Amino acid sequence: MGEGAAIAGLGMTELGRVYGRSARRLAADAVRRAAADAGLGPADLDGLVVSHGLGGSPGIELADTLGLRDLRVLTQMNAFGATAGAMIAYAAMSVTSGAATTVACVFADAPLRPERSSGAAYERSAREWHGYGGMTAALGFRSVNALYALAARRHMARYGTTSEQFGAIAVSTRQWATMNPLAQMRDPITLADHQNSRWVAEPLHLLDCCLVSNGAIAVVVTSADRARDLARPPVHIWGWGQGHPGHRRERGSEFGLTTGAAVSGPIAMKMAGVTVSDIDVCELYDCYTYTVLVSLEDYGFCAKGEGGAFVESGALGPGGALPTNTGGGQLSGYYMWGMTPLSEAVVQARGDGGERQVAKNDVILVSGNGGILDHHSTLILSPHRKGA
Amino acid sequence: MEIGILRRDGRTDPFFDGAAEDRLVIRRCEPCDHWYAPDQSGCPSCGGDELVWAQASGEATLVTWTVLHGRPAADGTVPPPAVLGLVELAEGPWLNARLDGVDAAALREGLALRASFVHPAEGEPYLLFRPV
Ligand SMILES: [Zn+2]
Repeated sequence: MGEGAAIAGLGMTELGRVYGRSARRLAADAVRRAAADAGLGPADLDGLVVSHGLGGSPGIELADTLGLRDLRVLTQMNAFGATAGAMIAYAAMSVTSGAATTVACVFADAPLRPERSSGAAYERSAREWHGYGGMTAALGFRSVNALYALAARRHMARYGTTSEQFGAIAVSTRQWATMNPLAQMRDPITLADHQNSRWVAEPLHLLDCCLVSNGAIAVVVTSADRARDLARPPVHIWGWGQGHPGHRRERGSEFGLTTGAAVSGPIAMKMAGVTVSDIDVCELYDCYTYTVLVSLEDYGFCAKGEGGAFVESGALGPGGALPTNTGGGQLSGYYMWGMTPLSEAVVQARGDGGERQVAKNDVILVSGNGGILDHHSTLILSPHRKGA
Repeated sequence: MEIGILRRDGRTDPFFDGAAEDRLVIRRCEPCDHWYAPDQSGCPSCGGDELVWAQASGEATLVTWTVLHGRPAADGTVPPPAVLGLVELAEGPWLNARLDGVDAAALREGLALRASFVHPAEGEPYLLFRPV
């Protein structure tokens, strides 16, 4: 058990406006690529953990699609944007407990259609509405953007956070994306571009919001010992944690002010034997710029309410003290839920970042965030064996 | 405000019965005196599953808000923005609220609001919150 677990393979399909292939086909492709990256074939897998987006596919029938036989672990997991972290933790526990030896974890989604705008991909509309829930939807509560805007506004009202501070995150994330060939948005932007981008849901501008992408990403998790003998440098899994605050919609709720990172972060860091000052790189779930800001606070990179000043300092960008979302995140890179930050963490841990490779990558923090700040997961990854 | 036509769903009808008479009727757990939004089923505070319908005062304060902008249509027209908020009823629960008659620039945490109902010619009435 002491040897721990590691990520040995990473497989990514084309990401973005990729049409003509179902989420299930994309997932199968990503798993094959991840296995090949590790120097394995699909037949070497004895575990498969599947996560799908809002499209609801694929599930565990993916094992059939891949022709996998005699699996020891096969399941579907869903904690929305926190799923990737939860899958890696489950896979790590599977390989360290002996339940399986080599577990692929995959996320796939294909919400984009050629004829629809990306904004329409997650939207529904109707002329006729039913019941109380239908009434609130008819009045405007059918937009995830609006719900995150409510959270972001509360943070601003309570702590004095500004739109320009959210913009600093959009700008630094784009700076990283300009150096990532896989990023969907690679033209540099300025703070003025952010401020001038159209309102989506105030206080969120268009450039505060993530992309929408089709595609799939998979990783292969195995024991640290086995990973050492495979094709690529192992990315060791030092710690993991989850936090599901269960914010109640009533007087006294902390909605918008704190997230599950305040719980998952300390659990993962304690397991890893590190503190926040040991973290070299952050790959944070950035469905919105605001999500990055509030997560940084909850992890303890700055005090509660000081996230705005922290991101404004330039810490997150190239050359900054805390390189964050070094591949362009979901804001500018690609939107594969929690697999976006996880995949970039693997790239940085392996030293594969090319022009955007950070100098110091010993301890990497990866976050996932799901629902409307309802679910959070944290991973601590490293190119080095834990305790070595 | 054009919202389409609102129908009952058989589950939240007492809310619309109240709305027809300009009364805000929501859910309440009597054993633990906890109030909830009209679409709540079961009480997460005590585990009770017998929520009753009860009339709330209609008094509320603003927790947070957003101005939701529609996407420009193919012809370049932009639908009018909607001011949405989370409001805290005097009884404690938060509701997803459409605000009306407000100056978005003057909104602030704690702003006093009151429930108000619109009765369209066709379909059920709907709830708005307006400044006191
Ligand atoms: Zn109760």
